[in-house]
Amino acid sequence: MEPQLGITRSDVTDLKNRMARTGNTHSFPKEFLRQNSNMMDSLVRKAFQRAQLQADIPSICLIAVGGYGRGELAPHSDIDLLLLYPSTQKEGLPPLVEKILYPLWDLGLEVSCSSRSIHECLKMAQSDLHIKTSLIDGRYLDGEYELFRNATSRFMKNVLHRKIRQFAVSLEKELLIRHQKYEDPNYALEPNIKEGEGGLRDFQIGRWLIRAKYRTDRWDSILFPDHSQMLEKSVQFLWAVRNQLHLLSGRRLDDFTFEWQEKIAPILGFSHGTVGIEEMMRQYHLSSQKISNFVDNILDRILREPFWVKKIFFFFQQKKIDGHFGTANGELHLLDPATFKKDPAQLMTLFHHGQTYQAKMDFRTEEAVMEALPFIDESFRNSERVNQTFLSILKKKEKIGPLLRKMHELGFLSQFITEFSEIEGKVYYDLYHVHPVDIHSILAVEELAKLKEGDYQKEYPLLTSLTKEIEKPEMLFLSALLHDIGKGKEGDHSLIGAEMAKCIATRMGLSLEEKECIGFLVSHHLLMVETALRRDLHDEQIILRFAKEVENFDRLKLLYLLTFADIKAVGPEAWTSWKNSLLQELFLKTSHFFERESVSGHFLKKEESVKKLKQFISPEIFSEYGEHLPDRYFSSYSPEEITRHIEMANSIEKEHLLVEWETKQEVRSKVTVCTKDRYGLFSKITGSMFLNRLNILEAQIHTWGNGIALDTFWVEDATHDLERRLQHFKKDLGEILSGKVSLSVLLSKDKKSNGIKQKIVPRVPEEVKVDNQDSDFYTIVEVIGEDRLGILYDMTQGLTDHGCNIHFARISTLGNRIVDVFYVQDQWGEKIVEMNRIDQLKRTILSRLTTREESLS
Amino acid sequence: MKKIEAVIKPFKLDEVKNALTKIGVQGMTVTEVKGFGRQKGHTEVYRGAEYKIDFLPKVKIELITTEEIVTQAIETIERAAKTGKIGDGKIFISPVEEVIRIRTGEHGRDAI
Repeated sequence: MEPQLGITRSDVTDLKNRMARTGNTHSFPKEFLRQNSNMMDSLVRKAFQRAQLQADIPSICLIAVGGYGRGELAPHSDIDLLLLYPSTQKEGLPPLVEKILYPLWDLGLEVSCSSRSIHECLKMAQSDLHIKTSLIDGRYLDGEYELFRNATSRFMKNVLHRKIRQFAVSLEKELLIRHQKYEDPNYALEPNIKEGEGGLRDFQIGRWLIRAKYRTDRWDSILFPDHSQMLEKSVQFLWAVRNQLHLLSGRRLDDFTFEWQEKIAPILGFSHGTVGIEEMMRQYHLSSQKISNFVDNILDRILREPFWVKKIFFFFQQKKIDGHFGTANGELHLLDPATFKKDPAQLMTLFHHGQTYQAKMDFRTEEAVMEALPFIDESFRNSERVNQTFLSILKKKEKIGPLLRKMHELGFLSQFITEFSEIEGKVYYDLYHVHPVDIHSILAVEELAKLKEGDYQKEYPLLTSLTKEIEKPEMLFLSALLHDIGKGKEGDHSLIGAEMAKCIATRMGLSLEEKECIGFLVSHHLLMVETALRRDLHDEQIILRFAKEVENFDRLKLLYLLTFADIKAVGPEAWTSWKNSLLQELFLKTSHFFERESVSGHFLKKEESVKKLKQFISPEIFSEYGEHLPDRYFSSYSPEEITRHIEMANSIEKEHLLVEWETKQEVRSKVTVCTKDRYGLFSKITGSMFLNRLNILEAQIHTWGNGIALDTFWVEDATHDLERRLQHFKKDLGEILSGKVSLSVLLSKDKKSNGIKQKIVPRVPEEVKVDNQDSDFYTIVEVIGEDRLGILYDMTQGLTDHGCNIHFARISTLGNRIVDVFYVQDQWGEKIVEMNRIDQLKRTILSRLTTREESLS
Repeated sequence: MKKIEAVIKPFKLDEVKNALTKIGVQGMTVTEVKGFGRQKGHTEVYRGAEYKIDFLPKVKIELITTEEIVTQAIETIERAAKTGKIGDGKIFISPVEEVIRIRTGEHGRDAI
């Protein structure tokens, strides 16, 4: 097609690429935006002048609005134009607009154009927020300049500088609605650079408000130089990211998804691989935090600033708290601006008052806090008065979450606990850890506070009641705040963190006993969850070992509460009812040990069981089965369950397979499968479950002396469709066992299809651990790897091929990371202890983990 | 190039449209349709008599995308159209051989 503007579509792409190659996109992102906008200016002007020649409408003016108006045009941003005409002019406009737009569209540009008279413009700007804000950024491009001047000055005078408060209210509303949309935890991992919290749109809101209220374009003129510098850097960083997103994807893409995180990190100068991505995302979080603070501050200044009449009223209403602080209108404020300079310790007192009087501080006081941060030095951190105040805040626990957040937001927390700055914005490149470490730590404290307040009374009554038995809750809150403090350093974060926490505790002047307690909690904060999720809790030895490490009942309670808070603060999906029940089981069993000095499980010993069984089962049947039942089997089930199992086994002769299930809480079922043992049975069961989207949580596999296989599974289905899926599973398993269909054929049919690119997500490094200590009779194999379709089937098949008998399995899924634990023995019922066999076993499993789809085809 | 057809609940249309526009989808075709799936319609009682409502109103959106964007487009629709209840709808993906913009005669990705 004939290029109408003397330039073709590919010329435009070339031009953009050439600009991109200068490196400005990321080194001087602002400059790049301006260049891009200049280039567009010349194209748009050409289109306008060409159209004007043909249409000949004398008094008309072309204005750039929105981001383009600001001269901040990202590579694929929309180009918004406004055609302004005097009120009388109406004819001939639509053909003119067409003549401007078509050639630009044909160049592949995203241009939109509205045409309005000055009068319409001003009227609509009063009622429509979007039109109003786009006009703020209006920039003259071509045509009658007088029109532009006239419109702008009337807009400023009659619209923008009036009803500023109302303007702020509507902008805040827009901001809150927008943030709500991006609240989904997926967006914390893959944020939207423009619209998300602390994104470029938020920054813009702050800028518009400054324009309206302070009548200046220089947003930095009303901030402290330090703050404006940091803000400028943060915005530049987001722009650099956005430029890359647009250029690499070739479209207007603002979602910073994993795929682009991986590609962009090296371009922005971060190192290759996971470390670089984590550093980049840390910078992203810190930057968006700065922008959030900025827009909150500006909104506060305008919305929370009382009218002068009210000011006088409050002056008389004002109540003095002490010589330094007062409250008025439910807000806390500073009486003498020089207070913190004279006595920095008052900073902590301020937060204490905030808690006592349940009052927010006014924005001037907040600014005074930020200004006073340099006064927080060694002597402040070591001051007994300051630390006592801090501990009493923790002890009171009212509003502790919002209070810690405020301390953190103002930069106070990381000045007071300097170690905290090392985990600020620190993220993990995976699907499980939704929040950066600093936010996660504060959330953990909030979860504890909620628990203590009784918010979880209905769901978790045991945990709730435990919070009341704790003697020094402030130690627990402090441990929760510091539990991940070691994450900024290399090495085992629990152990390093414990040392750091002890130092902090010393500084705070805690007693030896308290220090030990915090050290224990931080260093062991993963012990309980790992034991509950990765070990067989029927095994007395495991409980004993765990109890020994915990030492006493009080610590057990603290650890249980901390574990809850830690997991709950990871993200909304991390704390499942399954984890809840496992942790509760571990807690109860261990507490029995502390109370009675014995690990009597809730199941009976073999002899007692047998005695009971004889009451339920006829002697002939019992004599046929009793001798074949393994010892371990007795410790896992109640006599009632065993009776049912024997009944099932007894009817196996007639029906080659029996499947029963019992559903709890709609999403979880305990499935019992009874059949004759055969090679690869377990992997066939797991394969059939996988086919029916049943998520396996735990499996107990028992093979009786007489060749009966009795396996129980805990499975879940988040879609509340268990009954149908289980029916299907039963049918599939029956057909597979009778040889009617082949499992591998079924599985290959289910393979994800064909031509559609899979979404890129963080990779999970594979790891296989073999443990021969925790159990006397079994080798415990722990497998960590990336979740994918049919992985459990692959691994159990691998273990079977390797000659292992699986006796117990527990499966956890954390995002796309699976942690599978198998209790295995070799074909002679022995542990696998020789180094070379262990190595071989590890290699077998690793190869199964990495041979992704191949094993299915 | 792929064609994505999604049958969704009518009240989710705006949300899906906005979400797709945000990721750079430039156009789509929307049709009001009726149908049933596992939801199978339901019966309503009116003045004592039972009426079976077989076909439920839905909205079908159709869009053509390049290979690069198809995964994200599907994910976006899933996220925006999901209520978690029965009747949320379905997404169909099929290959497209060619696209031609009639006015200019452009082919392929330029014509999308």
